[in-house]
Amino acid sequence: MVGPMYDCLANPLGAIRLTFEKAVGSGCEPSAFDGKDWGALDVFREFLVDQGNLSQVPVLNSETLKWVQPNTLVRFRGMVQDMLGNEFYAGAYKDGSGWRTNKFGDDSQQPIDSSPDVRVWERRLLYCVPVPGLNTWAESEAASEATVTSMDLTSQQRDKRQRMDAESMDYEVCPGSNIVLEDSPSAKRMREDGHPSLSVQLSDLKPEGPCSSTMMRPEVGDSPSCLVKVYDTRESELKLNDIFEFVGVFTIESEPVPADDGDDIDLTTGFRNDLVHLQANKVPCLHCIVHRKLAVSDFLRSSPIIEQSKHVVMNTRESLLRHLTMLLGNDGVAANYMLLHLLSKIHARVDNVAVGKLSLNLTCLSKEALSVFGVQLCNALRNLLPFTDSIPLTVNYLNTACLGPKKDYQRNRLIGGTLQLAEGSHLTIDETQLETGTLNSVGIENARLLKDLVELQKVEYDFTYYKMEMAADVQLLVLSEGKSNILPADIVLPVRPSDVSRPEVVSAEALGAWRWYLATMRTLSHTIESEIQEVVEKDLVAARQADRRIGSKEFSSLLTMGRLMSLSFGETTLSLEHWEMVKELEKLRKERIN
Amino acid sequence: MASDSSPTRFNNTPSSPDDSAFSSPIGDTFSSPNKRGRGRSAATPAYDTPPHPNSRSRFASSEATPTPLHHAGRPTTPSSTSEGAPSSEAGDDMDEAAPTFVWGTNISVQDVKSAIQMFLKNFRDAQSQGAEIYEDGKYMKAIHRVLEIEGEWLDVDAHDVFDYNPELYGKMVRYPLEVLAIFDIVLMDMVSLINPLFEKHVQVRIFNLKGSTTMRNLNPSDIEKMVSLKGMVIRCSAIIPEIREATFRCLVCGYFSDPIVVDRGRISEPTLCLKQECQAKNSMTLVHNRCRFADKQIVRLQETPDEIPEGGTPHTVSLLMHDKLVDAGKPGDRVEVTGIYRAMSVRLGPTQRTVKSLFKTYIDCLHIKKTDKSRMVAEDAMEIDSGTQKHDEDVEFDEAKLSKLPDIYDRLTRSLAPNIWELDDVKRGLLCQLFGGNALKLPSGASFRGDINILLVGDPGTSKSQLLQYIHKLSPRGIYTSGRGSSAVGLTAYVSRDPETKETVLESGALVLSDRGICCIDEFDKMSENARSMLHEVMEQQTVSIAKAGIIATLNARTSVLACANPIGSRYNPRLSVIDNIHLPPTLLSRFDLIYLILDKADEQTDKHLARHIVSLHFEDPELAQQDVLDIATLTAYLSYARNHINPQLSDEAAEELTRGYVEMRRRGNFPGSSKKVITATPRQIESLIRISEALARIRFSEIVEKHDVTEAFRLLEVAMQQSATDHTTGTIDMDLITTGVSASERMRRENLVISTRNIIMEKLQLGGPSMRLLEILEELKKQSFAVEVHLHDLRNAVATLETEGVVVVHGDSVKRL
Repeated sequence: MVGPMYDCLANPLGAIRLTFEKAVGSGCEPSAFDGKDWGALDVFREFLVDQGNLSQVPVLNSETLKWVQPNTLVRFRGMVQDMLGNEFYAGAYKDGSGWRTNKFGDDSQQPIDSSPDVRVWERRLLYCVPVPGLNTWAESEAASEATVTSMDLTSQQRDKRQRMDAESMDYEVCPGSNIVLEDSPSAKRMREDGHPSLSVQLSDLKPEGPCSSTMMRPEVGDSPSCLVKVYDTRESELKLNDIFEFVGVFTIESEPVPADDGDDIDLTTGFRNDLVHLQANKVPCLHCIVHRKLAVSDFLRSSPIIEQSKHVVMNTRESLLRHLTMLLGNDGVAANYMLLHLLSKIHARVDNVAVGKLSLNLTCLSKEALSVFGVQLCNALRNLLPFTDSIPLTVNYLNTACLGPKKDYQRNRLIGGTLQLAEGSHLTIDETQLETGTLNSVGIENARLLKDLVELQKVEYDFTYYKMEMAADVQLLVLSEGKSNILPADIVLPVRPSDVSRPEVVSAEALGAWRWYLATMRTLSHTIESEIQEVVEKDLVAARQADRRIGSKEFSSLLTMGRLMSLSFGETTLSLEHWEMVKELEKLRKERIN
Repeated sequence: MASDSSPTRFNNTPSSPDDSAFSSPIGDTFSSPNKRGRGRSAATPAYDTPPHPNSRSRFASSEATPTPLHHAGRPTTPSSTSEGAPSSEAGDDMDEAAPTFVWGTNISVQDVKSAIQMFLKNFRDAQSQGAEIYEDGKYMKAIHRVLEIEGEWLDVDAHDVFDYNPELYGKMVRYPLEVLAIFDIVLMDMVSLINPLFEKHVQVRIFNLKGSTTMRNLNPSDIEKMVSLKGMVIRCSAIIPEIREATFRCLVCGYFSDPIVVDRGRISEPTLCLKQECQAKNSMTLVHNRCRFADKQIVRLQETPDEIPEGGTPHTVSLLMHDKLVDAGKPGDRVEVTGIYRAMSVRLGPTQRTVKSLFKTYIDCLHIKKTDKSRMVAEDAMEIDSGTQKHDEDVEFDEAKLSKLPDIYDRLTRSLAPNIWELDDVKRGLLCQLFGGNALKLPSGASFRGDINILLVGDPGTSKSQLLQYIHKLSPRGIYTSGRGSSAVGLTAYVSRDPETKETVLESGALVLSDRGICCIDEFDKMSENARSMLHEVMEQQTVSIAKAGIIATLNARTSVLACANPIGSRYNPRLSVIDNIHLPPTLLSRFDLIYLILDKADEQTDKHLARHIVSLHFEDPELAQQDVLDIATLTAYLSYARNHINPQLSDEAAEELTRGYVEMRRRGNFPGSSKKVITATPRQIESLIRISEALARIRFSEIVEKHDVTEAFRLLEVAMQQSATDHTTGTIDMDLITTGVSASERMRRENLVISTRNIIMEKLQLGGPSMRLLEILEELKKQSFAVEVHLHDLRNAVATLETEGVVVVHGDSVKRL
């Protein structure tokens, strides 16, 4: 796109207005821009993608919040926690002789009443929070990644970059490995497919295209919640609990808003301002120009292994399995199951059945054993997966915790519960601490919510007058002494630890490889050949003939395991060998149970 | 709404002599400047509803011929703080002596006025047309009625407006502020013609728009349009007294000012006494009880769950209610609202002229209808909330078309829980339950239930619970409960003490709550005895009687029960009788119309099916797998239509078939060569059969129960019965098994056993002699040519019988003859 140089970073609104004026000047009626872009997005796309300036855009977090100037370009990475509906604003108005626009800004300075011509446009308000359970490595990796890419930038941008570096340095954990990891292929890929996919996203407003993972960077540090105003998007594009990266104009509501209840019967408006509490808390606000849906893999640094060579996958698998075996006290079977569990992901939903989930219940863990394994295991999971959370299942916890999200009509906000998790989160539930006691109504409700999550991968959101089920995709690991009856997991496996070893020191490279492995393998697609399908069917029928207790549930988990097993080898079709492995594993597990 | 329209009337109709009389008291008072400017300025150039070119051309001419109208128009024109309509324009546009146009539109005031007059005078219902042509029109009658009861509003059905004059309807929806103002004027003119002394101000309330939108579809183009929405009230503000006119009194001389009408949301307090003699400065004080206030309320409406797309949270919208509409809805009510969607700009500060670029949106409510209430009247829970009306017109046709399909029965069966395998006959039964039979109430007071009760008994893992869940989802008034967690009171009703008033109150349980719906009870076998016994009354009489704590009541519980249970010992034991397996009291069992035994047979074919199904679930696109089935929405629509509109009657042929079949069923146990009488069917079964055949006719949308419906009903009953009432020793249907728990042949076998045991004991044991072990007797029995296998268990029973006869004494395992 040809045009004057705009300072997109420091004065994005200027750029937006310039393009608007240009568009209007070229003879377009402003009404033509109802719900449309007039070319401003092209400018930003060119700036961010084609020129690769994205890393220069400061990330909104508690640190940067202190110095980021209003009306500059920032980015924010978070989960859509609540949707606050639409907002109408005076999008374009005539000021004197010329048209002006308010899009992407909170411009309240102009006395609009002087102009008879106002176009009312709408934008959506999303309340976004940092991804729940985001682990520190996922944040810090993002930070280091941002630093690394910024090193490639031309010298003229260097001074700006240094300021950024200073900011992000604090969060850097392993700066040494960065440079090695920055690969030219990834940069090339960015140029090759980053551009087309993004342009699709921006101009046609299609749901997230497969943007290259290097294009956008996550933010650093404990970021605050953020009110994101989204323009001209279709509703289906942004869903609750999705993780997005937004790039847009940063503003903060500065004027004091009376928040007392007396305002409710304010005669001038008569309306309580729903956003009062948000503004009172000075929630930063972002007028989103570009957004992109993020997957788990976007939280990794640029892939250490670009080619998914079979060899590399195998090696990674082996070492990860070794690591898991060690964690589980030398229990190879448990480690295998754990690996499959960590790779599980819901890939289809048919009516009430969530296909692809593999919740794991490790039994035979007493309180004492757990004090050894549990901590190790949790730490390890935290290191492997980007979003993890754990729940101590005690009577007291169940009776008091707020697990399910609930709508607070006083504030007109959705209060996120513990179970409002992003797609692909991992949740560990520790049942070993559960003792006998009485559940109150909250406790029963919470237990039911957990059970629904385990069984159906759905969470009920309480809207007081009715409840709404929202689909979730959470990997659930239950640790218990005996088989958990509250949480009926797909796989119940007694752990047989044989030796307690001290946690080994894991190298950063290995960790990185494992993370990459887990994030990448679980997203692979999978099919089945007709011959294998027949074998599988035969095996299932035979198993059922032998043991009538085997029902569709067991079939399902068996097939899920088959799928995950071949995925764990980086294969996209089920082979006989892997199917046999699954059967073997199941045999070993059955032996343990009986 | 209508109150605010008065200023407009004021503007628009110099012709109306009454204007000043009533317009001033109800003047526009509304808060924000632009909010209430119904009239000229309310045409809100700011929002660009009217097409610009049009308006411009009109300007020229209007400026040339200013009419007195301006003067009326101006005072109420909020000089456009927000809308920015220069007041000069606002005033000018509307005139042109002859055709007065509404600003910025091609609506001529005169045209609209006469159209409305015609409508009100001449509109007649389709039915009444022709017959009573000389009678007054529908709305003339309505106006008279309003006058009689001194009402304050006239409900106008928008459908009527459309039928009478589609053009007027279009104008009304597009420019509601203007058209409604004219409407009010016309109405008041007519009122004053009929009764010049009528003092109240009558307003028009439009309802029942042709199309209703959803909350999330409201967009800027809807601003200032009339919209109709469904939603749920979630919050109501307190009632806000809003000042309409104020009176001031001078503190110095006691002079009372004339009432000062609110202008642009404010009242200009006189700075000096108006009395010529006094003229004291800053002496005027507000006299509260001389002021006029109007009620105002802000209500928040939230989307109902069915309108929320996947992955979204419900939207909300504010409603502004006035006067009589205040408190029309309470939190939790489902309502349908007709109103004008408006946007209001917000000032930066109370004293600043600048406004934010943001708008606050709300709906100025014209009419509110509780949809819940209408459902109650409709008396059928199967009727779904979402658009029964739409349904009647548009979908009816589709449904009728659907019902004409030759394979509709099979298609519906397929569409029911498509991901559950096989079990086609069970699904057919469930389909019958969903459609239901006709309830009959005889003049004598006796009533026959139309609801079909179904019990599913089966092995674990046969997707019973999934079926239950599915049915629960399908039937809106369904309650799902698990037997283990339900107590008797939880199912029926209980008396509790209100914590605040300390009064005893009746709380409905699951069965009462699912009145006219389906109550799904999972794990029926694990329910406590006590709770189960409560079901007796519900399942036959369809009422719940309670007598507790001073409350004696009988509540309706016209519910179908769908229960599912595991056999005793969790797996079906083919050795035991069905009763023993199910382990439910026979009295309760006989109340189920259909009892399905879902047995997990070790059948390779079904296993293969299951395996294939699950494999395809995992590896194929689930979208492709399902075809040729109706989606849930269509299914519910079909269902509710059938339940509401089809009431099949037995044809003579069908009745004959029913009699014949019943006689045959009873005769069947009577097979040749056998003297034993096996009771095959009971009158309860014939009632069940009638219900099922009625349901089958309903499925076809047929008003007549045909012969083949009856045949199918017999088949269904037989399929269920063959499984559930097969005597495993004779293979015949045996209702005795259901009603008493022991089959006739089983009884005979036991008798035989007792006789032969007695014989052995008589033979082997001496009177008062040494005892004999049970096992020894068993050996003896086996030696004798006893065709049937004898179990120790049976023997024990036989010996116990003998003991009661006083023949033997039993000590542990040893038997001693007396």
